[in-house]
Amino acid sequence: MSSIPFENCDYEVRQNLIDAHQEAWAKIAAPGTWLDSEQRLAVVAEIRQARSCDFCHEIKDALSPNAVTGVHTATGALSDAEVELIHRGVSDPGRLSQKWTQDVLAGGLSEGEYVEIVGIIASVMIMDTATTALGCPDTDAPEVVTGEPSRYQPPGARVEAAWLPIVEPEDAVEADGPMYPSPKAGYIYRGLSSVPESMRNYWAMANEHYLPGQYVYQFDQTIRAISRPQMELMAARVSGLHQCAY
Amino acid sequence: MLRESTQIADTEVELKDVTEGLSDGTQIPNAEALVNFAEAIVSRDCARIAETRKVVFDTLGNDATVDAGAVASAFHGFVRIADTIGIPYDTAAQGQDAPEIREAAGINDFYRIQQAG
Repeated sequence: MSSIPFENCDYEVRQNLIDAHQEAWAKIAAPGTWLDSEQRLAVVAEIRQARSCDFCHEIKDALSPNAVTGVHTATGALSDAEVELIHRGVSDPGRLSQKWTQDVLAGGLSEGEYVEIVGIIASVMIMDTATTALGCPDTDAPEVVTGEPSRYQPPGARVEAAWLPIVEPEDAVEADGPMYPSPKAGYIYRGLSSVPESMRNYWAMANEHYLPGQYVYQFDQTIRAISRPQMELMAARVSGLHQCAY
Repeated sequence: MLRESTQIADTEVELKDVTEGLSDGTQIPNAEALVNFAEAIVSRDCARIAETRKVVFDTLGNDATVDAGAVASAFHGFVRIADTIGIPYDTAAQGQDAPEIREAAGINDFYRIQQAG
């Protein structure tokens, strides 16, 4: 573990990437929309725990994810529904289903809590993978920050296009805060929109790893040190290995 | 996105490589080094990551190594949002997703599409 992202890294890491990690960790530790700081940091610990969960490995290796039964090796800090969401989201995301999502929600999670946890999963997976990719240890999770969740529910959020509610660009209201860089923002961008703060925090960090929205569809240019076809080849292979159809 | 970027760059790509691994049909420069690095990152095997990262560094240098690692990492987040929220896969690439492209890439064999029937 290291308290500073990419500390003592063998490579010269661009400062905006280091800053993005530091800011993202600070936001993860702050009270969220539906979860307080302690709960959010418990989610972080569970995400890291999932990597060494034997049951997750059995599921991943099985021909069908429903073919094996067992119990996740968990930290003990979270509910069964939270553990299932986190472990399956981390270890075998390409073989989830709408039925599975409904079962997780029926286990006692609200849609807002579910989406907020997904935002943390996606953020931590990016950051821990980035440090591992460059030979660096995981960054220490920050300390708990006191405060209450905002419990803000966007009035335009509805279940229609996806399994969970989404705020379509035309349904966003001023109270949601800044939402979309463009009304044409893709569904991958809209995925966390029912928890606007999670969406903003996630993309502020993720964009520094891939591309800010304004560059995504400009295929003839790159702001990174590898070409756009090189980036997309890596991206497609990573997505393919995760069985992601999007 | 891969198809669009290679068409604009006038570079050959074999779409099946997305699911089956790199073949001679993909002519993107340094593809082998980058795909090996990406596959190692997904595996989380630190020795394999170090070995493949060294090839990228020796071939393309520091900044490309950092950005290659960052891009591969980014898609560890994107896939989790897509697949836990259940966003519609046929809206990918700003609606440019096409069944024939998915078929050519082997994506139609994925669990989620098979489950959708």
